Amino acid sequence: MSERERAAATVAVPKGRRFPPWPQAGRAQRGLGAEESRRERKRRERLEERDAAIPVELYGLKRGTIPLLTACCVLFAVFTLIPIVWIVINSTKTQANIFQSFGFWFARPFEFFHTFGNLFRDVDGDGTYSHWFYNTVLYSVVAGVGATVLAALGGYGFARFEFRGSRLFFAVIIAGLLVPITLVAVPLYLVYAKVHLINSIWGMIMPSMVTPVGLYLMRTYVELSIPRELLDAARIDGASEVRIFFRVALPLMVPGLMTVLLLSIAGTWNNYILPLIIFSTNNLFPTTVGMGLWLQHAGNSGDTNLFPLLVMGGLITIIPMIALFALLQRYWRGGLLLGSVAN
Amino acid sequence: MSAITLEKLTKVFATGVTAVSALDLEVADGEFVVLVGPSGCGKTTALRMVAGLESITSGSVAFDGRVVNNVSPRSRDVAMVFQNYALYPHLTVYQNIGFALENKKVHKDERHRRIVATASIVGLSEMLTRKPRQLSGGQRQRVAMARAIVREPSVFLMDEPLSNLDAKLRVQMRAEVLRVHQSVGAATLYVTHDQTEAMTMGDRVAVMRDGVLQQYGTPRSLYERPANLFVATFIGSPEMNLYEAGVSSDGSLALGSQRLEMPEAGTRLAGHQGRKVIVGIRPEDLTTASAGARGTLTADMRLVEMLGDEQHAYFSIDATPFGGAGTAGQDEGLLATGVPNGVARVDSRVPVRAGERLSFTVDTARLHFFDPDSGLAIGR
Repeated sequence: MSERERAAATVAVPKGRRFPPWPQAGRAQRGLGAEESRRERKRRERLEERDAAIPVELYGLKRGTIPLLTACCVLFAVFTLIPIVWIVINSTKTQANIFQSFGFWFARPFEFFHTFGNLFRDVDGDGTYSHWFYNTVLYSVVAGVGATVLAALGGYGFARFEFRGSRLFFAVIIAGLLVPITLVAVPLYLVYAKVHLINSIWGMIMPSMVTPVGLYLMRTYVELSIPRELLDAARIDGASEVRIFFRVALPLMVPGLMTVLLLSIAGTWNNYILPLIIFSTNNLFPTTVGMGLWLQHAGNSGDTNLFPLLVMGGLITIIPMIALFALLQRYWRGGLLLGSVAN
Repeated sequence: MSAITLEKLTKVFATGVTAVSALDLEVADGEFVVLVGPSGCGKTTALRMVAGLESITSGSVAFDGRVVNNVSPRSRDVAMVFQNYALYPHLTVYQNIGFALENKKVHKDERHRRIVATASIVGLSEMLTRKPRQLSGGQRQRVAMARAIVREPSVFLMDEPLSNLDAKLRVQMRAEVLRVHQSVGAATLYVTHDQTEAMTMGDRVAVMRDGVLQQYGTPRSLYERPANLFVATFIGSPEMNLYEAGVSSDGSLALGSQRLEMPEAGTRLAGHQGRKVIVGIRPEDLTTASAGARGTLTADMRLVEMLGDEQHAYFSIDATPFGGAGTAGQDEGLLATGVPNGVARVDSRVPVRAGERLSFTVDTARLHFFDPDSGLAIGR
């Protein structure tokens, strides 16, 4: 073989690669064509059958992408669930075991009920968890319902009425989304001091009733799911604007309102900064601030046995939110879909 | 006194678009008037102004001589049927029909009696407990009608109520709407873009274009004496054939290289001798004739559509078709060169084949003439 011939061969068949790259031709050359092609045909038929059963594209994605996305979702779910699993397991432990035993398995003694009972007692003189929990429920429910009512009125108004300055007004409200509560903490405190809202439950509830997100959500929802003709029809039918709102618009807004209710209750439930700023009396605290106080004390003096209470308190705090989401999920999922496919 | 009177009714939107300009219209008591025109011609806006859902820029709307410009829709006592029905999705058929009576605080027993009676008029007696989503398109349409009828209004407004139905149901519902109209007897203003609907349903038809009323009259007068090129081409299917023609001093017409004797031209085309006009020929005014006969037009058949009872023979003729500004222009595709530039309606028993040359006798008494500049009819 000359230099040139060898070079040509190297080019034609790169190292480690089969030639020819298509297997059928290779088998046919080896004289196995008939038998192999029958097997090939069976394989092809099986693939075609699968293609017929499972579409090649799902949600506009290649079939191969779906398991990948599923894997991502599973990973994310695990990441989210791990702390919850930890809190459930550790709510049964003593303070020593919380620190010394393996975090993701149980350890004797079983202290769940003992710790749960302590939630109703004033353990270290800061106040009882049960009282804070009651406060959290009170603030969240009142603020949540209030926010929903305001979002319903405002969203409907912005979506279906044109008035002078309506766009500017709406833009200003939406701009409120961009301002974090931490930024307004000091001015808020000063204003509150002037109007006597420090250590008042209304100081907590009133700002929580204002939800730019809820208003925005409701405006979009009304625009998509309540056709103008429907309101026109009601006007022609002789209904007053108030009656139209309550009798025609409001019943159709329920799925959207459930979403707003859920989000605003959760928002108030988890709020930490606002109650921290405005409350200095322990018996007005919600669970977030109360437990924050416990955490401080637990860190300062290790032997107050506050850690099991913190774990238990955390567990009890998240349960109502999980229950609420599960209960209302039917509405808000349906609501989001309903908005998008309104005809 | 007419039930509805529109005087110089005008709507200019905030964007500066004039949707309706100086619309004058009268609807007599118990009359069924159809407002027809291509989409975007302002007919729906006009209707909404009558209903009170749209503010009036200038002009007036009067019911029985009483101007209602500043009366809110709920106090105007009009009933309206919407294009997409606008039924209350969360209420049953019974509640949908009864909503207006509820608002009027009609006593419960009286309300029940009227709802049940109305439901039976439109054939919904079995459906009263259903929700709108459980009904077919035709049934929803009936609920919308019932909701309007139950109020026993003096003015009845309908905004393309049949356009969401399939073709067969639409024809059926046309008769239904008219039957209901006759039993209710209210002055009705009916908006549609479908000229067939307008012609078959209206006692009188108002043709609108770009916010301006083109002609208002009975279906027959619109068809036989169109006021301008737009009405001529908008009404009638297939469309009227339009050609540019010269009027010679002896009164004959020159269509391309062909001549058409016009015995009565002296009266109808007086003052147009030696000038150009647009001549309009309805497809049914062309009748097949033996070749070379006098007073005929010769045309090459391009395409023949057999409809069973008649044939539409698309032909090309040596004449300049007119499809410019001012026509409804529905068959614009036919104006390209080499393709048919006219259509004749031929009896189905006459053998016509694409590719052959035929002569047509023209009923000159039924020709339409239009001014090429203004588009207005000549010699009406």
